[in-house]
Amino acid sequence: MNMHSIRKAVAGAATFAAIAATPAMAQEGADFFNGKTVNYIVATAPGGGYDTNARLVAEFMQKYLPGSTFVVQNMPGAGHLIGANYVYASEPDGLTFGTFNTGLIYGQLAGDPAIKFDLGNMSWIGKVASDPRVMVVTKDSGIDSFEQLAASKEPVKFASAGVGSASTIETTMLVKALNLPVEIISGYNGGDDQLAMRRGEVQGIIASRSSFQDFVNEGNAKIIAQIGGSETDVPQLSALVGDKPDAQKVIALVASQSNISRLTAGPAGIPEDRLKALRDAYAKATTDPEFLKKAESLGLPVDPKVGDDVATVVKAALDQTPEIVSVLQETLKKD
Amino acid sequence: MIETMFGALFNLVSTPHIMGLMLIAVVCGLLVGVMPGIGGKLSIAMAIPFVYGMDMVAGAVFLLTLHAVNGTSGQISSIMFGIPGDGDDAATTLDGYPLAKQGQAARALGASITASGVGGIIGAVVFAIMIPVLEPVILMFSPAEFFLIALLGISFIAFLASGSKIVKGLIVGFYGLILSTIGMDPITGTPRYAGDMLFLWDGVSLVTAVLAMFAVPEMLSLATKGGSISAVSMDKAFSYRQLLSGVMEVPRHWWLVIRTSVIGAIIGMIPGLGGSTAAWLCYGHAVQSSKTPERFGKGAIEGVIAPETASNGKEGGSLLPTLFFGIPGSSGMAVLLGAFLILGIQPGATMVTKHLDLVWTLIWALVVGNLIAVGILLVSCRWIAVLTFVNGRVLVPFILIFVTIGCFVSDVQWQNLVVLVLFSILGYGFQRAGWPRSPFVIGLVLGGQAEASLHQALQLWGYSFFLRPLSLVLISMIVGLMAYAFYRNFRPGKSHASVELNT
Repeated sequence: MNMHSIRKAVAGAATFAAIAATPAMAQEGADFFNGKTVNYIVATAPGGGYDTNARLVAEFMQKYLPGSTFVVQNMPGAGHLIGANYVYASEPDGLTFGTFNTGLIYGQLAGDPAIKFDLGNMSWIGKVASDPRVMVVTKDSGIDSFEQLAASKEPVKFASAGVGSASTIETTMLVKALNLPVEIISGYNGGDDQLAMRRGEVQGIIASRSSFQDFVNEGNAKIIAQIGGSETDVPQLSALVGDKPDAQKVIALVASQSNISRLTAGPAGIPEDRLKALRDAYAKATTDPEFLKKAESLGLPVDPKVGDDVATVVKAALDQTPEIVSVLQETLKKD
Repeated sequence: MIETMFGALFNLVSTPHIMGLMLIAVVCGLLVGVMPGIGGKLSIAMAIPFVYGMDMVAGAVFLLTLHAVNGTSGQISSIMFGIPGDGDDAATTLDGYPLAKQGQAARALGASITASGVGGIIGAVVFAIMIPVLEPVILMFSPAEFFLIALLGISFIAFLASGSKIVKGLIVGFYGLILSTIGMDPITGTPRYAGDMLFLWDGVSLVTAVLAMFAVPEMLSLATKGGSISAVSMDKAFSYRQLLSGVMEVPRHWWLVIRTSVIGAIIGMIPGLGGSTAAWLCYGHAVQSSKTPERFGKGAIEGVIAPETASNGKEGGSLLPTLFFGIPGSSGMAVLLGAFLILGIQPGATMVTKHLDLVWTLIWALVVGNLIAVGILLVSCRWIAVLTFVNGRVLVPFILIFVTIGCFVSDVQWQNLVVLVLFSILGYGFQRAGWPRSPFVIGLVLGGQAEASLHQALQLWGYSFFLRPLSLVLISMIVGLMAYAFYRNFRPGKSHASVELNT
């Protein structure tokens, strides 16, 4: 049997599988991936939530794109910028796409010169999770509610990750827009923020709910407000701040971010049929029972959205009033 | 307690498939560890797909062993070719490589392999002892203490390059400190000395710098000098007697071994302090506590033992916060943490109450894994050591390719290859001119740490952080060390006893 006939046989089998699995429309696109190698770029180092999630998504997308081989490639550095720039600059043939932090949208809005991409133009494949943000204060802080925090006479210390990270930008924006008596201590990476809260050197944080749920469950701290998400056990921040248009706009921006977490996107201009095939595969991957089981064991929240739905959210988030843009630029201003 | 403890050991060694997996993990871990640039972090990330189907205990033991023995084999290339696998191993090259040049590769390997095994085991013992008091101890260390510990490490430069080289050592050390400021400014969030070059935003790649400073210059000088690494011929040099004499160096320096293992384990325990800190701090400690510090850098066996015990001892330590707080003690542990979650191990306070048997199994896995690794390496190092007797002109091209690949793989940035070339020129210049190179790495490793934590401490407490109790202890240690360094460098009539570091 020569190579040609082997290929034909494999292609035949794959086509058969494709016919069985996908609607006829995506035919052509799905065929394209047969026998191709797909580079899935992860903008962080191995390990950690982004990487684990990416490997899971790649594994299951490969399952639903018969004949394809997914290679996960880590491209860490510069707060996800290296990976995101790489994805955007790569050939839009559908064979290179990846994942990076949605928080890059803040940099794009503020016009960061290091950003060489336009999130609004990217080929959005999908997102796995919604990751609502929560405002958390430690038990020892003596603060019990958002009202108490807002009324505090002494500045309350909040931890955040490195300067320029999405976490610091969101915290700074919210503190400014809501005029909270909060002093931001930046530079806590990884789990350092939880240790700092245990040590009592900081009293609070604004972070994603999934990363702080266990910490709160263990009795170390309390959630006093939430942004985004559908949980009803804590009040939404937007309901707590009243009728302040600027504050509401900042909260809405953060909320829209929290709705598109763990995304997958490719460079602008991936041919329609291939993009369709990728989105179909993504939709099947993220609803696969085995995928859900693994995601649950990893503590990865799953709330998938596919394709245009994500693009719409991103475009809406990019459409900000000049006031908000100036708030962002102010926040990101290097002083 | 005792019952759980030994029950876990019995279960571990009496389950054939777990022992089999452990053996595979040890061999894989050792093989991966030989390659410079591929750390424990990457090897676990690559192994994660294989553990999906395993049960909890088997998977956890497999990954932990794989990670734990990774550092054990990194020392082989450090000693024999002067090529450190990463920042930790760089300290081992300082004395290990001179020993290999003197034809004592077997003695150095015997000592370092045994030392890392013993260090790993002592680390596991520290782990076991620390379980009840873990929380208060970890919570004692805040950014204020991180800053002072980094400063303590930097102050060891005074011992690594004292005597006639003190000025050169300080210059090189400050040079390392200056380079550690490349990257994102932790205070303003603007890139410093990096401009549009995104690959520099996270700072100079440590692996690249270490390889360029140590490995490339040694290979260049070997190529220009000709001959083999070992100055002594093969038949005279390698013998199992020599290997055994190396092994026996470890019990001979038992007190140093215990101290450095414990220091390593405790540094590993504190999240936020890098792993390389442990190896360098312990190397500095060995020099500083030695009666004959002038031997260091020329092939002092303690200079091999101290960093190796420390870097394996820290594995036990860094597992503690990972398991009990879900906060990884090192970057490798961060990957391990992700893998533990896949296996269904939920780190947290409940580990002690509900899963104590699993905790003990992991402790024993560290012990047994280290023992297996020591056994394998002691038996096989004879064939590896032969390479030091091969003509350098044959060896050098291969090793340089190895180094280049390692440099690329660690960060996957081609620009680092340019940095490698630039730094190699610098490193070769230092070597030819007889300037010490280790202060450079210390400056680079600890400078960033010192800056970031100083900034945090100042934000939190202002200058009053110097008055925290533990800060005062650390400050007095630094002052004492500096006074001792002054005394040793400038005491009258003893100038011949100064340290002459050749590395």
